[in-house]
Amino acid sequence: MALAPTPARAAHESLQLFVTEPYLELHTGPGRGYPVQQVVERGESVRVLFRRTDWFRIRTESGFEGWADAASMNKLRLADGTRFSYNPGNREGYATHRWEAGITAGSVDGASLISGFAGLSITDHLHAELTASQFLGDVSTGYIYDVGLMHIFAPEWRLSPFLTLGTGWEVVNPLTTLTASQVRGSQTAYVGGGLRMYMTRRFFVRAEFRNHEVFTHTNFNEVQDEWKVGFGFYF
Amino acid sequence: MESRIRVLLLGLSCCLMGGCASLHWPWHHKAAPVTAPVTANTDDDNAVPPTVIEPEVDRRKITVPKIKAHDSELGINFGIMSIEDFDTGPVSSLRYDYHLTEDYFFEANYGRAKGGKTSYEELSGNVQLLTDAERQFTYYNVSLGYNFLPGEIFIGRKLAMTSALYMIGGIGSVKFGGDQNFSLNFGSGFRVLPTNWLSIHLDVQDIAIKSDLLGVYRIKNNMEATIGASAFF
Repeated sequence: MALAPTPARAAHESLQLFVTEPYLELHTGPGRGYPVQQVVERGESVRVLFRRTDWFRIRTESGFEGWADAASMNKLRLADGTRFSYNPGNREGYATHRWEAGITAGSVDGASLISGFAGLSITDHLHAELTASQFLGDVSTGYIYDVGLMHIFAPEWRLSPFLTLGTGWEVVNPLTTLTASQVRGSQTAYVGGGLRMYMTRRFFVRAEFRNHEVFTHTNFNEVQDEWKVGFGFYF
Repeated sequence: MESRIRVLLLGLSCCLMGGCASLHWPWHHKAAPVTAPVTANTDDDNAVPPTVIEPEVDRRKITVPKIKAHDSELGINFGIMSIEDFDTGPVSSLRYDYHLTEDYFFEANYGRAKGGKTSYEELSGNVQLLTDAERQFTYYNVSLGYNFLPGEIFIGRKLAMTSALYMIGGIGSVKFGGDQNFSLNFGSGFRVLPTNWLSIHLDVQDIAIKSDLLGVYRIKNNMEATIGASAFF
């Protein structure tokens, strides 16, 4: 009852790890070229203050602070004896992640295109996706906002094709000096496909084509071809 | 007859005493601690199996606190920008950096500068090619940076600060003179960290656009030099 063991709740504290290898090297900076300034001996404990990329800011029992790399950190142990493990991202995470985001660049009907996307995994194969793009052409500039679904054929493969389908809104600002330019907005629908390839850690490359159908106020719909290439990361 | 009863009782008492000797009474555990290793006699059917000590404490549960990632930087830059054909003016920008690895980082910038007058406007008196609002140079860009010379700088004997010389290149958009153009940006910068959370930047970059603002399509180079500060989080 009163003597029942309490879990080591230290959410507000920094993580304590124990050195079980002969020593832990601490560098002066978060990079492979920075020299080793201090070593922590076997049996001593350290506190992990924060992480920057693959480097961890460490405080020793004597209060000295330095940087340890991920490979050294993975040799340390928790208070219960289990090994500490840092996962910077891998293929398994790439196949089963929940969120992803990224940036692409390309062209839509000859205009330069800059685009950002954010996706939520409904299943490993099916993602809901938001895309916001700006296009900058010689005759018009504007924005395209899309919401849609993406089906990834084989998320576990390093290189996998995908299909997209969705709808959106396009705002066009014609660049004309002859008549007063009027900003116009139209609903769009798109269908597309592309390839995604896992690179390293949490990053992947994505190349995509989309065919937009723009529902204009005239008798004919416009068709726009969009292609883009970029990179994304999952989290 | 009497002797037979005596023999019977004697035999019975021998059997009972032998049985008592083989029994493990509760006080035997206290009275006779085992000091020497006991060899198990497999032939003895009456041997008691060794008692298993049940642990009285649960295994300690470790809640691993989340390690904070300080991969992002948010900051501001101030400096000057030379807007091609439109003089040099002050520029200020917001910057966001995300450090992907110790070598590469992603950067997003949003900035504003103020353009001046062209030489033609200066010389011809009252001619105004652009309104005041159109001389506002607004840009954003997204870039990839590479720390190609990481290192440390030293101030005196006791103070060392990590630093890096980096290159950066990206794409973006520029709004100027009533036009909005696609831009390519590239440059170089120097970052020094006086503390673990504070970063001081010196940056020089060219924001190039293709524009027909003065009649002919030309590539316009807009050079900016800034100093900035940002905080890691």
